[in-house]
Amino acid sequence: MDSVFSHTIAAILTIGIISFLYKDNPLYKFCESLFIGVSAGYWFVQQYYANLLPKLFDNLGITKLVGAENAPEGALQALFLEGRLDDNLLYLIAGVLGVMMLLRLSPKIGWIARWPLAFTVGSSAGLYFITYFQSNAMSQLEHTILPLNSFNNLVLIVGTVTGIIYFYFSKEHKGVFGGAAKVGIYFLMITFGASFGYTVMSRMSLLIGRIDFLFGTWLGLVK
Amino acid sequence: MKFFEKLMSIDRRVIFLFVGVALIVPLFLDIEQTIEITPEVQTLYDAFMELPPGSKVLMAFDYDPPSAPELQPQAITGLRLCFDRNLKVIIIGLWPMGPMQANLALETVFSEENYFDKEPIYGVDYVNLGYSPGNELVIQRMGSSIPATFPRDFRGTSIEEIPLMRGIVNFSNFDYVFNLSAGYPGTVEWVQFAVDRFHARMGAANTAVQAPLVYPYIGTGQLTGLSGGMKGAAEFEKLTGFIGKGTKFMLSQSFAHMIVVFFIIIGNLAYFVTRGREEKKTG
Amino acid sequence: MKAFSYSFTFYCLLGLILLATTDGLAQVESSDSLLSPLLPPSEVIAEDHPGDAGAAIIVRWKLSPDEDRGVTGYEIVRSTSPTGEFSSIGFAAAGSNRYVDANTEDSLTYYYKVLAIDVDKNVSESELSPPARSSPQWFNFHLLNLLIIGGLICGAVIYFIAHAKKGKKLFLRKIAGLEAVDEAIGRATEMGRPILFIPGILDMDDVQTIAAITILGRVAKTIAQYDTKLNVPTSRSIVMSTAMETVKEAYISAGRADAYSDDFVHYVTDEQFGYVAAVNGIMVRERPATCFYIGAFFAESLIMAETGNAIGAIQIAGTAMPAQLPFFVAACDYTLIGEELFAASAYLSGEPKQLGSLKGQDVGKIIAMSAIVIGALLETFFAISGSSFFGSLAELVHKLFSIVAS
Repeated sequence: MDSVFSHTIAAILTIGIISFLYKDNPLYKFCESLFIGVSAGYWFVQQYYANLLPKLFDNLGITKLVGAENAPEGALQALFLEGRLDDNLLYLIAGVLGVMMLLRLSPKIGWIARWPLAFTVGSSAGLYFITYFQSNAMSQLEHTILPLNSFNNLVLIVGTVTGIIYFYFSKEHKGVFGGAAKVGIYFLMITFGASFGYTVMSRMSLLIGRIDFLFGTWLGLVK
Repeated sequence: MKFFEKLMSIDRRVIFLFVGVALIVPLFLDIEQTIEITPEVQTLYDAFMELPPGSKVLMAFDYDPPSAPELQPQAITGLRLCFDRNLKVIIIGLWPMGPMQANLALETVFSEENYFDKEPIYGVDYVNLGYSPGNELVIQRMGSSIPATFPRDFRGTSIEEIPLMRGIVNFSNFDYVFNLSAGYPGTVEWVQFAVDRFHARMGAANTAVQAPLVYPYIGTGQLTGLSGGMKGAAEFEKLTGFIGKGTKFMLSQSFAHMIVVFFIIIGNLAYFVTRGREEKKTG
Repeated sequence: MKAFSYSFTFYCLLGLILLATTDGLAQVESSDSLLSPLLPPSEVIAEDHPGDAGAAIIVRWKLSPDEDRGVTGYEIVRSTSPTGEFSSIGFAAAGSNRYVDANTEDSLTYYYKVLAIDVDKNVSESELSPPARSSPQWFNFHLLNLLIIGGLICGAVIYFIAHAKKGKKLFLRKIAGLEAVDEAIGRATEMGRPILFIPGILDMDDVQTIAAITILGRVAKTIAQYDTKLNVPTSRSIVMSTAMETVKEAYISAGRADAYSDDFVHYVTDEQFGYVAAVNGIMVRERPATCFYIGAFFAESLIMAETGNAIGAIQIAGTAMPAQLPFFVAACDYTLIGEELFAASAYLSGEPKQLGSLKGQDVGKIIAMSAIVIGALLETFFAISGSSFFGSLAELVHKLFSIVAS
């Protein structure tokens, strides 16, 4: 009975969202508002239970400190009760950075929030530089160095080189260079076409999923 | 000529209607469709088949319900294949809802008659370690210590108490990584960190939107195989012999593709004909 | 006829004898395989895993000669004493000859054995490995090429930033989509309708969002001059506050601080499709004359661009997400493709850091193009002539870019 009720609600919401294809209407507006509200609430709860509670409060021992039952002992207990420096004490730095981020809400001291932001941007930039450079530049480049003895290899090499030429910004696209850039953009457009095809498949799949839900799970017409 | 002009100003809802019919009608038809196996899916399947029984497979569920129609059939097929070959499965998710999708897939697998008697044992044959926030940094951390990254499983049990997790420290303890991805964080991040940094062997199942992004990793050997979208799901099902929703939905998919191709051709034709007339008028 | 029947009988007998003999031979061989013990892997070597932070030992061995006779894999066992108890630490698939034990203590010495296991669960144990101890290293020499090439590009970026800071002009080619920005804002003003700016759905740690905010600054400045309404829904709270600051600064610098309102920028939800539903609703109800989609996008790109197209808005997009570019190209009037987004941001801001970074990356592109062209030619000459000279040169170019698994 429960599942019939929940499936019916899900079906009404699905139909409500799909009705936008016909035109904007009150049911769509209702579903949209509900979706935004529920998702924002869900994200808040999710962030608390997946991030704050296990990573910060549990690891530091704050949950234990406030007297929660079955809460694990954390870094603060280790420090003050056992006189031991636990690795989890590092979460204290993350916690302080998080609080600094929240100071953004205060107009007077909002500038402090730039520090944790700088930390996030700086550490991500360092991490991504290496990973992208290794996986998406070096490895790809090495595997593009191929003999020009097959049509596939030729297409791969010409496509890669002319594509790079299109994204070269230090020279105006004129003459031979401009011609090569034009070839590059043709390659890009062909790639976009292939990618578009894949996406059509993806979108259709999502719709099939909902139709299967409506006609199969909800109405039981499709086995 | 007026026909083409009318066609250019056709109400988009007419197209929606055609596509809707093309998607719904085949669900009620019982037509067997030929599914050709592509090399990427074949190598993905081969990679699973090469694993000796008892090998440990890390399955990363990086998607949520909106992408389930494409990825859930692949997850179910992957799990069936692992259990049938007696491979041990360790589930994690970089998306909050990923591990829940994994539980749904497990429910589907175990609800089948074949599995009533020999249902794999939780903690021995498979485990769900749940979600960990931090996107790709989770993968990075798993490279140094999996117990520190996932101290407890989905149910809150300490991983020290889970027999399957004994001796698992980092990626070197996994024989294969299978990533189901719908975007960020997903296969790109797994390749960058798990494969290129920690030398894991990996295959992936992606939504069709993501597939072109990760194709370059196959040529370089960074990925052993790739199953993209519903078509990939149908191929994977055909290879394993477990026919599921991937195969069932392919007919609707094909019908819809035919409609789309038809409209693209006729739309372009109308565009060029009407543009030619306008040029003549202005010229 | 008689001759035929004799020869027929002869051949039948011969066939029977051969059949019996081969069957017998097969039996002998199969019993032989059952009797002969499974041969173990040999030459087990254990040594510190190079170029890491310690706590890992790499074990290598020569495959069992019986690899083709049903070996299913190798079990790796270790002990801290050659005569002590060995415990299993992992399993390697058949055909593999290395295993990384990544759970060692740097202060201890370890001894390893590798056990071949076949289909019948027969086990054959190797000799003991020499003692091994893990240790940390400061430098990973396997990534030296990464350091050199990365250093070259970073050096070029720093050089060009310094160059731009001195006030020297750096040439950047024109980017077509940019010229359309002012035109699109002007059109919205003429129509008296708002302008919608979507800065992607990723956070401020994504470089595309940073570029989007730079472009938003420029767009907001023009809007302030025209006195048109701006609407910036965001899906990340940090993006919201950064965008708010940027728009405010733009209005102040345009001398229109009075026209600025905090309502221009607002947070919707982090949930991808919830955000799209909200943006779609805004589009249909407010009917903006111009829509900007600049930043990092995923599946929502097509839904938004399609709705924008349906309401007849001028649409300008810019993203470096390869999978989303096709939809923007198809549904928008102008699209900044990939790196053009960053170029546009550098072009508009005129900031030395952005300009220098772009020029530095151009150096990287020259390196990449040269390597591909030279490498491909060397590979081709080698394929045609078979000359080892070309072969070794091509290998050298490969090595320059290859990342070796240690």
